[in-house]
Amino acid sequence: MARRVVITGLGILSPVGNTPEEFFSSLMSGHSGIKRLQTDFIDKLDVRIGAPVGGFDPADHFSKTQLTGIERFSQFALVAAQQAVQDAGLELGEAEFGRAGVCMGSCQGGVGTLENGYRELFQRENPRIKPLTVLLSMNNAAASHVSIKYRLQGPNITYATACSSSAIAIGEGYRQIKHGYADVMLAGGTEAMLTLGAMKAWEALRTLAPEDPDDASASCKPFAKNRSGLVLGEGAAVLVLEDAGRAVKRGAKIYAELAGYDCSSDSNHITKPDAAGQTRTILKALHDAQLQPQDIHYINAHGTATLAGDIEETKAIKQVFGAHSHRVPISSTKSMHGHLMGATGAVEFMAAVLAMQHNAIPPTINLHEPDPECDLDYVPNIGRTDVKLNAVMSNSFAFGGSNAVLIAKRFKP
Amino acid sequence: MSSLQTIQRMMAEQFDLKPEDLTPDAQLDSLGLDSLSVIEFMFTLEDELNIKIANDRVEDFKTVGDVADIIDKIIAAQKVTAV
Repeated sequence: MARRVVITGLGILSPVGNTPEEFFSSLMSGHSGIKRLQTDFIDKLDVRIGAPVGGFDPADHFSKTQLTGIERFSQFALVAAQQAVQDAGLELGEAEFGRAGVCMGSCQGGVGTLENGYRELFQRENPRIKPLTVLLSMNNAAASHVSIKYRLQGPNITYATACSSSAIAIGEGYRQIKHGYADVMLAGGTEAMLTLGAMKAWEALRTLAPEDPDDASASCKPFAKNRSGLVLGEGAAVLVLEDAGRAVKRGAKIYAELAGYDCSSDSNHITKPDAAGQTRTILKALHDAQLQPQDIHYINAHGTATLAGDIEETKAIKQVFGAHSHRVPISSTKSMHGHLMGATGAVEFMAAVLAMQHNAIPPTINLHEPDPECDLDYVPNIGRTDVKLNAVMSNSFAFGGSNAVLIAKRFKP
Repeated sequence: MSSLQTIQRMMAEQFDLKPEDLTPDAQLDSLGLDSLSVIEFMFTLEDELNIKIANDRVEDFKTVGDVADIIDKIIAAQKVTAV
């Protein structure tokens, strides 16, 4: 029989806070982490905004020797994992190492290291590539460092499915426990791609929001008539997933039950979002959670603030939720923390879990005039605290068509 | 002249180590430098001292003194070649 999976620890480094409490409190107060970037390559960018992690000094967490071998995206993952493990009060016995694992999402891994290598390679006559370039930049470095640090000898898998990478990492981690391959999984995502090459590539795709002329922090406007695209962010979020029986037995604090998950493909177009594919994914996640649409009390939308994306997601929600679609509060917290790519699914699922824990719904900021085609309740501009949330959903719909939906509900033993 | 002092200074700087710990017989692994750190350090040495260290020398780097000896030999050999 399938086992139940609960969430017992949270850790995060994000553009709006470097602990779960700070993160959620920023979201509730409508605080945006989007700003004019301060980098030495700013002059080469047309779009000069992003959502960087603030107040993070690697030297606070790692020795100089360690930093030689740990890329920024792995640093983020290790710090978030440490918070989550501490939060969970997780202690693994010797016999349990093989029953614990890690699933991590990342789109671009150590892209900054690769870019430094290429700069050297293409610009100098006698290029010298740093010896650890491969080990720093490989996409699975973050998960592997986490595995090594906590002696996680079960699965160690990295997912690269663009914007849904970390939602899929969490969902697949959930399945590892649900189907008995592991008892504990550290699951989440990490991304550190506010680099010249990555930002120029996104610019070229014409999906980035230009800087708002009046207020850089208000540049990302999901579901608004004047929305103009996404804003790149960085950070990491890691959750401790645990077999419910194990968590109850050790008296762990339980945030929620991870009740449902699905990943499925649009199989349609490499970038164009597709309501039909999204609908299928949401329906299957609800089925997995054994919940009805009306049981969902909050949706953290994918809500990238691209023209097509927000309309297709709205269509999919209407398709699944029918009359209830106008009653379920939906918000895109990307309006505040930006799009963290390989980390975004985990960050947003964490926002949904914290919403349920606090009975509070974070807003979609910068939503003053809605797009007529986006006519649902997107919790515009001001968060809500007069609510009771028993089940929440987080949508992640990626380039490439890899969709993922996660559902958490209040845990009842 | 031995390169020992130069190497001690570079090692202390690159890995944030205390110079007084970098005695000639100090083992690299007990200083917290694993094989990857050694490879990184070889890269720095090549860059700063303008030398070329053969790949098969990694295994010979056991102590701080070993590093200095090997570097001294390489520098001496390069001088001979230059002459």
